[in-house]
Amino acid sequence: MNQKVFKLTAFLLIVCGVSALLIAYINDITIDRIAAQNAQALQEGYTEVYPEASEYSETEYTGSDAAITDVVSAKKDGQEVGVIYTVAPGGYGGAVLTLVGFDIETQKITGIKVLKQSETPGLGGNCTQPWFAARFAGKSAAQPLKAVKTETSSDQEVQAITAATITSTAVVTGINAAQADFAANYANR
Amino acid sequence: MELFALIFGSIFISNIVLAQFLGICPFLGVSKDIKSAFGMGLSVMFVMILSSTICWLVYTFLLVRFDLEYLKTIAFILTIAALVQLLEMFLKKNVPALYKSMGVYLPLITTNCAILGIALLNIQENYNLIYTLANAFANSAGFTLALVLMAGIRERLDEADVPDAMKGLPIVFFVASSMGLAFVGFTGMI
Amino acid sequence: MRIGKEFTKGVIAENPLFVQVLGTCPALAVTTSVNNALGMGVAFTAVLVCSNLVISILRKAVPSDIRIPSYIVVIASFVTMIEMIMNAFSPALYSALGIFIPLIVVNCVILGRAEAFAGKNAALPSIADGLGMGLGYTLAIVAISSIREILGAGTFLGYPILGSAYEPILIMILPAGAFITMGFLFAGMNIINRRQAAKKEVM
Repeated sequence: MNQKVFKLTAFLLIVCGVSALLIAYINDITIDRIAAQNAQALQEGYTEVYPEASEYSETEYTGSDAAITDVVSAKKDGQEVGVIYTVAPGGYGGAVLTLVGFDIETQKITGIKVLKQSETPGLGGNCTQPWFAARFAGKSAAQPLKAVKTETSSDQEVQAITAATITSTAVVTGINAAQADFAANYANR
Repeated sequence: MELFALIFGSIFISNIVLAQFLGICPFLGVSKDIKSAFGMGLSVMFVMILSSTICWLVYTFLLVRFDLEYLKTIAFILTIAALVQLLEMFLKKNVPALYKSMGVYLPLITTNCAILGIALLNIQENYNLIYTLANAFANSAGFTLALVLMAGIRERLDEADVPDAMKGLPIVFFVASSMGLAFVGFTGMI
Repeated sequence: MRIGKEFTKGVIAENPLFVQVLGTCPALAVTTSVNNALGMGVAFTAVLVCSNLVISILRKAVPSDIRIPSYIVVIASFVTMIEMIMNAFSPALYSALGIFIPLIVVNCVILGRAEAFAGKNAALPSIADGLGMGLGYTLAIVAISSIREILGAGTFLGYPILGSAYEPILIMILPAGAFITMGFLFAGMNIINRRQAAKKEVM
């Protein structure tokens, strides 16, 4: 009886061991490519969100808001002219990784870009489209924004994607987290 | 308060069966009468809470420690399979009454995508242990709710005048879509 | 010729989704667009063929008592590898399919074929079986997603094909629409089966 249990366990361990080795091998091959792709998407995102900078440099995020995952300083000729936040609010199907760019001089949102999302294609999935991002460009960074379903009645309102309120609200929530930090730290420069 | 929103949301707003599409196979197969639906629901609740907790512990204290996060799928499914096997053996020997009523569902639960799905979602959403427990409880409660509701309706469907082509699975799908639509109404509550 | 039969049976006669009613969770969840359904179909077929092959090769070495856990380890390994490859080579699809990629592990079709076929047959028929079942499942979910995407968004593979005057039937893209589509398709299957049974009776 014990011999049988030993044989079964040994077999299972061998199968697990070989599998783990194969998985580790594939992980080794793919991990660099994945990291490179993510880095490239990030760089392209920065340029799209704040085009007038000559360089982008990582800054330390010292705040306590869990929604903000990264802060990047946009510099032109060595001077900090803008701030780009990376936020990851929870949407309908998972986190919606979004970049939000602010301009220090005009105190306005320069642009947003959704990098990763798992929302419903054709509905919330349209949050990656330029026409949705355009709704945020030029908004003042002094107050938080609000997603509304119908036509906007004030500058602080943004029209949500039709039938994708959850996704739209998620993006706005993420942007507001960035806006709060921006207003607190970069308002009166 | 956030915990309450999570629990309420998981049961009603993004119901695991009707909105997230996890656990469809038992939803279609074991919802013919309320008693077995309830039994399946409670079995799933038991296994889900237990497996979510153990998988979270395995991930946090084993996989993360050794930089082996990419092994989580294989680690979780093995944990679940082992857990269900041990549970079956334990119940058979120690609580035969419970084994008789719930035991037949246990082998089915291993391949229930709801169990593995919630275990993975807990990690994806970066929940701590308390939230993981709450999430597992809420989702299994939502699963039980959906199953029992469907069973209640199906018991009455037997006496309804269902067109021939719709008998069996098709009408169940239509009922499920109506249920899903009804649940969408909860979205405005939070 | 027998190999050919192992292949074709998975496409229609024993279609995993419409005949065996297995793998329903992804069929409802990832069919919001044809692109996603195709991606899932390819990933699914890859895992199925690989696991069928390996399990078939090992079938004489695996002790019967632990064959299910062993199958699970093999399947889970291939799913993890496919997951990494997808993340590296098609990240947009990887994000879109989300949690349903690792859930291929518990797709009853794969474990079902391992237990019912690959565990008892040689390598080549097992590959044919895997390809056939994979193709059948892919065709099934592409059918569902075509209906949902065309009616619910007016597009096919992202291309607007019904013109800009078309008001999409939003419900088709929502979860309820998944159930409705499945309901109609299964009702269609019922009608076809009934007609075939009636024909056989006449004969």
